[in-house]
Amino acid sequence: MNLLNRYLQEVSKYLPKAGREDIVAELRANITPQLEDKEEELGRPLTDDEVVAMLQHHGNPMIVAGRYRPHNLGLAFGVQLIGPELFPFYRMILLLNLCITLVILAVVLPIVGKQVPGAITLGRFLTPLLMQFAAVTVIFIALEKGKDHVLNRWDPGKLPPLKTPPEDGPSARNIFNFVVAAVGTLWLALTPRWPYLLLGPGALYLPAIPVKLMAEWVWFYWAIMALLCLQLALQFTNLLRLLTRRAADVSDLILKCAGLAIGILLLFKFPNYVTSPYPDVAAWANLSFLICVIVGVAIGLFGIVRRLMRGFSMDATASAARRA
Amino acid sequence: MNENAFENLKLELRRGCLVLAVLAQLRVEHYGYTLRKALADDGLEIEESTLYPLLRRLETQGLLTSEWREEEKRNKRFYRLSKDGKLVLKQLLDEWRTMGASLNRILRESKV
Repeated sequence: MNLLNRYLQEVSKYLPKAGREDIVAELRANITPQLEDKEEELGRPLTDDEVVAMLQHHGNPMIVAGRYRPHNLGLAFGVQLIGPELFPFYRMILLLNLCITLVILAVVLPIVGKQVPGAITLGRFLTPLLMQFAAVTVIFIALEKGKDHVLNRWDPGKLPPLKTPPEDGPSARNIFNFVVAAVGTLWLALTPRWPYLLLGPGALYLPAIPVKLMAEWVWFYWAIMALLCLQLALQFTNLLRLLTRRAADVSDLILKCAGLAIGILLLFKFPNYVTSPYPDVAAWANLSFLICVIVGVAIGLFGIVRRLMRGFSMDATASAARRA
Repeated sequence: MNENAFENLKLELRRGCLVLAVLAQLRVEHYGYTLRKALADDGLEIEESTLYPLLRRLETQGLLTSEWREEEKRNKRFYRLSKDGKLVLKQLLDEWRTMGASLNRILRESKV
C-alpha cells in the first residue's frame, strides 16, 4: 500500500488543482481492487516487485495525470510536435520560465537603463523571451520524440517517499528552528553595535576603510530586523499552536513576499549602496552588494514558489489519505 | 506496409470504437475497475490510464452520470449512462450499423 500511496502522491502532483482530490480517490478505488484480485488469484500477498510491475503497467504518473487535463491541446506545425500528454507541462514550464524572465527583465532593465542611456531596445527585451521560448519548445519536442524510451522507463520503486505535513507544536524540529532563528536575529541586532560579531578582528580596521554606507541602509536594516522579529513571532505561535495550519501558511507567505519586496527595493538603490573617495573601490563594493542582493531576491522568489507548490501538493496528499 | 502507419490507423479506428463500447457497457452501472474487466471479458482490452480519464470526459459531456457509493466497505465511483447518453448511444449504434453495412457492401463488390 505504501507504494500505491507514493504512486498516487506522484500522480496528484501533476493533476489540475480542480478535481485533484476526486481523481486521486477514484484512482485509489480502482487500483486497490485490482491489487486485491491479483492477491486472490495468487493466494498470497503481493511482493513489492509485483506491485511495482502493476504500477508500471498503469503508467508513468506524469502521463497518467496528463490524460486528466480538461483540454487535449497539443503543439503542431503540420505534424504534431508536442502531444496532448506533454502539452500541459510544456505550457506550465514555458509560462513559468517566461514569468521569471519578465520579472528579472523588469528589475534589471531599469537599472541598466539608468547606467547606460539608450541601452534598452525592443530587441534586447524580446531576445531573452524568444530564447526561453525556443529552448523550452525544443526540449519538449525532443521529449515527445523519445517519450516511449524516456517516460515509460520509470521505476515505481524510486518514487519519492510520502510527504507528511509539517508537524505543529513543540516538536524537537520546531524548537531547534526557533532557537536557531532567535540566535540569528539576536546576532544581527547586535552587529551594528559590535561589528566584531560580523567581521571578527577585521572590525578593528573598519574606521580606516574608505567606504561609507548610504543613508537609507538604516531603514533597510530596520525593515529586515522587523521582518525577522515577525518571523520569530510566527515560529513561536507555531510552537504553541496558536494559529491554524492555513493561517500559519498564509502568514509565512506574506512574510516571504515582504522579504522579496525589500530585496527588490534594494536592487533599485544600485549603485549607491556605498560611497568612497576612490571610484574603483566604490564600484567593486557596489557590485559585490548587488550580487548579494540578486542572490537574496532569487532565494526569496524560490522560497515563495516552493511555499505555494508545497501547500498545493500537501492538500492533495492529505485528502487522498482521508479518502482511503 | 509501414508498421508505424498500421499502428496509427489501428489507434484511430479503436478510439471511436472504445467510446461506443464504454457507452454500451454502461447501460449497466459499473465502477472503473469492473467496467474494465467487463470490457476485457468481452474481448476489448483497454488501458486503465485511457479508460478512467475517458469516463470523466464522457461525464463532462453529459453522456454519463456518476455517484460515489460504498461497496464492500470501500468508496467507489459508479458510472452509468445518462438520459442524453442513451440517446447518443442509439444514434451512434445506428451510425455504426450503417457504416458496417456500407463497408460490407464495398468489401463484397471488391471481393477482398
